[in-house]
Amino acid sequence: MPRRYDTRYDFDLIVIGTGAGGNVAAHIANSKGKRVALFEREAVVGGECPNWGCVPTKALLNAAEHYKSGQNAPNFGIKVGSLGYDYKKVRAYKTKVVERTGTADGDETFRKSGIKVIHSDAHFLNRHEVTASGKRYTAKNFVIATGTSDFIPPVEGLTESGYITFKEAIDLKQPPKSLLVIGGGAIGCEFTELFTSFGSKVHLVEAMPRLLGREEPEAADLLKALFENRGVKVHTGALVTKVAKKASKKEVTISVDGKNHTVLVDEVLVASGKRPNVDFGLDNAGVVYDPKRGIKTNEFMQTTARNIFAAGDVVGPYQFTHTASYQSRIAAMNILHQKSNWEKADYRAVPRCVFVDPEIASVGITEAEARDKKIHVRVGMAPISIIGRSNTTDRSTGFVKIITNHRRVIIGATVYSPNAGEMIHELALAIHMRVTADTIAKLIHAFPTWSESIRIAAGRVK
Amino acid sequence: MAKTKPQIVKRHGHSELYDARKLYASVYAACLTVRATDQEAELIAADVTEYVDSWFVAKHEVTSHDLMCKALVRFKELHPDAAYMYEHHINLS
Repeated sequence: MPRRYDTRYDFDLIVIGTGAGGNVAAHIANSKGKRVALFEREAVVGGECPNWGCVPTKALLNAAEHYKSGQNAPNFGIKVGSLGYDYKKVRAYKTKVVERTGTADGDETFRKSGIKVIHSDAHFLNRHEVTASGKRYTAKNFVIATGTSDFIPPVEGLTESGYITFKEAIDLKQPPKSLLVIGGGAIGCEFTELFTSFGSKVHLVEAMPRLLGREEPEAADLLKALFENRGVKVHTGALVTKVAKKASKKEVTISVDGKNHTVLVDEVLVASGKRPNVDFGLDNAGVVYDPKRGIKTNEFMQTTARNIFAAGDVVGPYQFTHTASYQSRIAAMNILHQKSNWEKADYRAVPRCVFVDPEIASVGITEAEARDKKIHVRVGMAPISIIGRSNTTDRSTGFVKIITNHRRVIIGATVYSPNAGEMIHELALAIHMRVTADTIAKLIHAFPTWSESIRIAAGRVK
Repeated sequence: MAKTKPQIVKRHGHSELYDARKLYASVYAACLTVRATDQEAELIAADVTEYVDSWFVAKHEVTSHDLMCKALVRFKELHPDAAYMYEHHINLS
């Protein structure tokens, strides 16, 4: 059957951004025979996650984990000679991992499928037309997946003294001898974990009263304690007010409760959040957005311009690769189907992972969020120290916390444990399927696994 | 200053090369409407024009609406009353 194109437009779908929020929609539409063009402002494709975000940081953290295992090996009777690291090779491993994601193939991956890739900023002229590098392109539908840019706080002397963000931090030639991290969110904590493992002296500064503001306070408090045990100076409720260059170092002024003190460090890493990329003529297309919160969409990922959809970090409410690809798939399916068959985004069971040691993973709402929503909350907790796996591995720090509603249906959970990122999916499925804590408590969990702590916490829900 | 001069797409679809003097003149005129002094109007117009010029770097084509929105971001900070006049009474096309 011949393909039917809408000849009024150059393309059936234009996707702006090749990250997870964009490329999933592009591939789905292309597989259904649509004429698709992708716009990418960067020289590389794939967006933040494979090039500068999740993938390279996890590769570096994997190397750090092996280094720490070597340090702990004598505790288990393993003899280790002189233990050290060659950071050049650590970086080389990171580069290999990034290349294995397919980003090394560049545009070819898309071109082979028949998707046109245009490396340029795209700027909306109206809701069916964008301009890029002096040319105009029209499309019936659009998916916006322009992601975010780093938010650099207005700190006196910061720009003049120099700083790095996660993009530079993954490519340092050596871990800095001393480092100050601005921002105690997931990114700030993961880089603290990484560089502390390689021996850097780290100051971690967070403006909020605790680290990982979105997570359970028990997890934040334990993380702070674990970092401090390893020599990290954690400054919570603190603001960086000034940075000044002092020879090859940087003098950073930190203000806590109005009292200033200074620390001298080799490098400053800014991880204080992100802002959506929305400066590309959205007004011309009738797309409503907020410069801080991003593009407004309905549950079908449709913007206020009905032919334009959006996905990924530029939309929120989460800034994860897995939510971006989820939203992108929904956007593509809704573009391809009649409105009566449209899919809705459901964020009840989005897993969130922080790759510190041990890992912190959570899903659903926290106890505080549940109470804010006037839900009659029941809570069950279990430390991981009471299970067999803790004994065999000699690792006892961590816990599982499960939140249910009054009918004991699980609505939120936090796992602070080795392999938490894997374990959390049992609880994500429980939330997705509206399972009660009692069902999880009755389920046979293999001995000795970390997941036994989930069964015990579920059994303790009161 | 902008590295390249972008095209400005007007309301009815035709486009023309960006002319900083036109923006300068319209901001200047808006300032005078609310009885700003000549010197003040010149400073504000220069500032707003410079702000918009810096935004144009790497942009090849924008609409006159984009131009007005961007100018207003800076104009409102410098002189909200004059910016109001610019927003509501000046026809850029």
